[in-house]
Amino acid sequence: MDPKLTEVSQLFERFKAAITRKDYDTCTQQLSQLKVMLTGFRSLPPLFEETPNSVHELTLARDIFEHAVLLSVKIEDQDAFERDFFQLKPYYTDARNRLPESPNEYMILGLNLLRLLVQNRIAEFHTELELLTSTALENPCIKHAVELEQSFMEGAYNRVLSAKQNVPNETYGYFMDLLAKTVRDEIAGCSEKAYDYLSINDARQMLLFTSDQELLEYSKEEHSEWEVKNGSVFFQKAKDSAPCKEIPSLQLINQTLSYARELERIV
Amino acid sequence: MAATMVSSAGGLLAMLNETHPLLKLHALSNLNSCVDQFWPEISTSVPIIESLYEDEEFDQHQRQLAALLVSKVFYYLGELNDSLSYALGASSLFDVSEDSDYVHTLLAKAIDEYASIKSKAAESNDEAANVDPRLEAIVERMLDKCIMDGKYQQAMGIAIECRRLDKLEEAITRSDNIQGTLSYCINVSHSFVNRREYRSEVLRLLVKVYQKLPSPDYLSICQCLMFLDEPEGVVSILEKLLRSENKDDALLAFQVAFDLVENEHQAFLLNVRDHLPVPKSQPSEAVQPVSSDPTSAQNESSTAAEDVQMADGTSASVTTVPEADPSEVMYAERLTKIRGILSGETSIQLTLQFLYSHNKSDLLILKTIKQSVEMRNSVCHSATIYSNAIMHAGTTVDTFLRENLDWLSRATNWAKFSATAGLGVIHRGHLQQGRSLMAPYLPQGGAGGGGSPYSEGGALYALGLIHANHGEGIKQFLRDSLRSTNVEVIQHGACLGLGLAALGTADEDIYDDIKNVLYTDSAVAGEAAGISMGLLMVGTASEKASEMLTYAHETQHEKIIRGLALGIALTVYGREEEADTLIEQMTRDQDPILRYGGMYALALAYSGTANNKAIRQLLHFAVSDVSDDVRRTAVLALGFVLYSEPEQTPRIVSLLSESYNPHVRYGAALAVGISCAGTGLSEAISLLEPLTSDVVDFVRQGALIAMAMVMVQINEANDSRVGTFRRQLEKIILDKHEDTMSKMGAILASGILDAGGRNVTIKLLSKTKHDKITAVVGLAVFSQFWYWYPLIYFISLAFSPTALIGLNYDLKVPRFEFLSHAKPSLFEYPKPTTVPTATSAVKLPTAVLSTSAKAKARANKKEADQKEKAITEKTDTSTAGKGKSSSEKDGDSMQVDTPQEKKAEPEPSFEILINPARVVPAQEKFIKILEDSRYVPVKSAPSGFVLLRDLRPTEPEVLSLTDAPSSTQSPASGTTTGQQGSASAMAVDEEPQPPAPFEYST
Repeated sequence: MDPKLTEVSQLFERFKAAITRKDYDTCTQQLSQLKVMLTGFRSLPPLFEETPNSVHELTLARDIFEHAVLLSVKIEDQDAFERDFFQLKPYYTDARNRLPESPNEYMILGLNLLRLLVQNRIAEFHTELELLTSTALENPCIKHAVELEQSFMEGAYNRVLSAKQNVPNETYGYFMDLLAKTVRDEIAGCSEKAYDYLSINDARQMLLFTSDQELLEYSKEEHSEWEVKNGSVFFQKAKDSAPCKEIPSLQLINQTLSYARELERIV
Repeated sequence: MAATMVSSAGGLLAMLNETHPLLKLHALSNLNSCVDQFWPEISTSVPIIESLYEDEEFDQHQRQLAALLVSKVFYYLGELNDSLSYALGASSLFDVSEDSDYVHTLLAKAIDEYASIKSKAAESNDEAANVDPRLEAIVERMLDKCIMDGKYQQAMGIAIECRRLDKLEEAITRSDNIQGTLSYCINVSHSFVNRREYRSEVLRLLVKVYQKLPSPDYLSICQCLMFLDEPEGVVSILEKLLRSENKDDALLAFQVAFDLVENEHQAFLLNVRDHLPVPKSQPSEAVQPVSSDPTSAQNESSTAAEDVQMADGTSASVTTVPEADPSEVMYAERLTKIRGILSGETSIQLTLQFLYSHNKSDLLILKTIKQSVEMRNSVCHSATIYSNAIMHAGTTVDTFLRENLDWLSRATNWAKFSATAGLGVIHRGHLQQGRSLMAPYLPQGGAGGGGSPYSEGGALYALGLIHANHGEGIKQFLRDSLRSTNVEVIQHGACLGLGLAALGTADEDIYDDIKNVLYTDSAVAGEAAGISMGLLMVGTASEKASEMLTYAHETQHEKIIRGLALGIALTVYGREEEADTLIEQMTRDQDPILRYGGMYALALAYSGTANNKAIRQLLHFAVSDVSDDVRRTAVLALGFVLYSEPEQTPRIVSLLSESYNPHVRYGAALAVGISCAGTGLSEAISLLEPLTSDVVDFVRQGALIAMAMVMVQINEANDSRVGTFRRQLEKIILDKHEDTMSKMGAILASGILDAGGRNVTIKLLSKTKHDKITAVVGLAVFSQFWYWYPLIYFISLAFSPTALIGLNYDLKVPRFEFLSHAKPSLFEYPKPTTVPTATSAVKLPTAVLSTSAKAKARANKKEADQKEKAITEKTDTSTAGKGKSSSEKDGDSMQVDTPQEKKAEPEPSFEILINPARVVPAQEKFIKILEDSRYVPVKSAPSGFVLLRDLRPTEPEVLSLTDAPSSTQSPASGTTTGQQGSASAMAVDEEPQPPAPFEYST
């Protein structure tokens, strides 16, 4: 076996051990090393050169990135998740017909969908969905994410929140927690449009807070334009701030007149 | 297994955000290789990559890589400016030799940028232009690469554009075909270098390179030197060539001289001639060795040897004199010849002979015009006279005038003036006889004579026309006439005549004489004086212009202002940017007439440059000025600016030609007429066609004239619309209800269409693409006929014969055949008009039916053997050119079943022409020299004067053209009817041409 490959595999083993030890600092260091080493392989994306060990190398690289993704969930780093997922993706898409299917594939794809949902990037969510095959859609991991999105779109927020109880994989927990916040933001956005004001009590229920204190903190942090007075929350300011577009009539009139003048002069 | 395709750059982009620098580098280099495919994806991450480029901590290579990547993405996004600035950041990674769209586009952009910076710096005379050294480096790399790869033309183009004369020189000297490269470079510098001073710099460099060559191309050098106005250089070259033992060198010298003459730069030619040593008396006289004066002592081996012999002592030269003599004699003889050529006499004489012998004008057309024109309508009457003059310009054929003396005598006052002046057009170039021809009308010195001042003035004007641009001999006489009269009509004629004769000589004395006339403040004389001053000072940009401008402000007479305005415009002819101050001054003037002059100044200063700035300015005035005259002229001026690129004009003025303002439409018509003159350009005709049936009469007039200018020498076989146009002209002329204005236009148009016996075209550019000053000036003054009809005659200055005239060493025209590889019908003369009734007996040209081209050629040969050369010459052309057309017409009388015969024989695909032959511009590309020909041209040129090298000098030569047809004429024996009719005294008894023999083909 290629010495480089052996080296990578050994380091990867140590990395996996570190994960199980939950020694995340070592993990990230080792991961970074691993990635640098991977750049040395010419069989990996984007070059995909045919080498004798290519299948082996590809599989190994895929494993590494899968672990990297999972690690990022564990250390709750969304940026790292995104980065690693994108680097992993070519192994699922472009190298699909050269590698045996990975057991973790759908789980990770589902995670990614969930992440997009959490970050409220619905457009990207659907783009990703379109790229999946119909069999993939049947997979419980994917299905879970799809159903969540549907409930989310319908406004059935209670279903979204209750879905937390039946996650297909324990790694999903992190994102499900985050999803609750996303749901709250959505509700807040809708309320702004729908109501002029809400009593604190109603607002608390609406936004799924357990105490008034939490509500006040939330409004302070996220929606400074809300006004809390006389036991109610006023959304008036938020509405006002939306700029009203005025038609630049004077400018248009001037322009049209000058065109007319020019026309008369030219022909 | 199928190769795995990459479907997204997402992974790599994600990698850019990694913390480890090696990963970033890896991502960058991979992205760089796939950017062509994934640029849309990458474009969203540009800010990240930019920040990588700006990150000081990175190593140099990585930053450059980032810059290159960003540059490529910007390129794909169409943001070339950003792309370029990042590409510069990539410095050495940006590989100029890469063959990709990206590199090509960016290089072009870089060069553009560099060139614009450099030229801006040059224009503001800012030596220390802060050019980005990186930019400069890229351009230099590109230049070096071009030179290395042998793409010299590109290298030269870039070097010229970027004002890198050092690189230009390098490119030229390193090219494998220096001659070719040089001539290419000359072309480029004329057509693409807009600034005059810079062009001079380029040319100076070219001359320098030329002179370093072992076998220089003297023709091109001399053209360059002419442009640079350095007669000394030309003189030394000519002398060297003339001194040479080799006959071919002398031929070359003659050719150089002819080419110089073609550009009609009178002042320059005179300068060259004056610098040449005077030939030592007659060759017959024994030349004393002592007399080889220092001026002619070129450091040439032969002369040097001679000098040594001289030192030996004259006494011992019984043997040396015969040795030295032949070379001296030969030199003197050659000098005489070349002086003849340079003075223009040789070419003018030959042209005259050609035009006379090949005259094919159709008198029937004139007759029709004459009959249909009402007697009382003086405008049409004189238009007919103008038309006749133009039709016969330079042919010396005045049959029509002589046949219609009674009719002619209806011309009174100014009509008489122009009728007399018309003779000058007809006899244009008749230098020797000119004065005696006009003698009956000229003012009789002092005695005051009985002659009408109008015909006297006209005669002086006519003299000017005869001697236009070659006025050495006549200047003094005209000056005397001007001084000795105070009749304003005569002054008018004399001023115009002087201006024409002394065109562009900037002669101070003449100027003062004319100025005196101007200061008499007479409207009639002053107008001519103004124009004349301009003619005299053409292209000198002298301070006289401001003097004229001052007077234009002082005087009350509109006519004088107008004359001066045009005169001022003429002085800045071809000066381009130098004229800007004056133009600015004129175009801002309160007086519309001066603004009108400003338009002419723009037109002439930038004539033939297609300068964008000038075009923009003219278009601006064309739509914004309040005065119709100014607007009309502004549009018309476009024609002058654009004549070097005739294809452009119809496009540029097409909108203007649909203007609501008739003056603008008129201007558009003439602009097309001027710039597309003689080209027969299809777009031009399409543009003019609707204008010829405009609702406004003067627009129709302009359009008809312009159309005739475009179609001159194009026959129906080339463009069917020519035939339609001829019929339209006839219809207008015959229509009783047509407006006078358009009728006049139609009459003039018929004249222009068949100008110069159908052997001339209007040409503003010489074959070497220099502008012909006389022609341009002629058309400019011609376009003034709107105000003053006699100025119509100036159009004759723009006529140039379409002929190939081959000359031997003796400057005689030997018999010499060559091939026109095209159907004869394409370029033949238009068919003569048919006789409307049987009574109007018109002698038809001889007809020869021919069965095949071979028979024709055979016949030609036979004739050539048998007959007198001159006669052969005449019949040949009529046989070759006209046989078919006339045969058709004569068909019934000759009882030959023509149609059938026609079907039977296909038209030959070639035609043998005989020196000198009519070669119309469109025909030039078909001209070939026969392989086994006795003569070989010194330079390959399909028209104009060409010196022929005789390959069989021992055989006797057969000459085609012998003597000038009219030089044998008795000098005006004066059947003095001078009083009564202007042209009556034309006592040149030319015999009618002998009826050419009939010949039936079997």
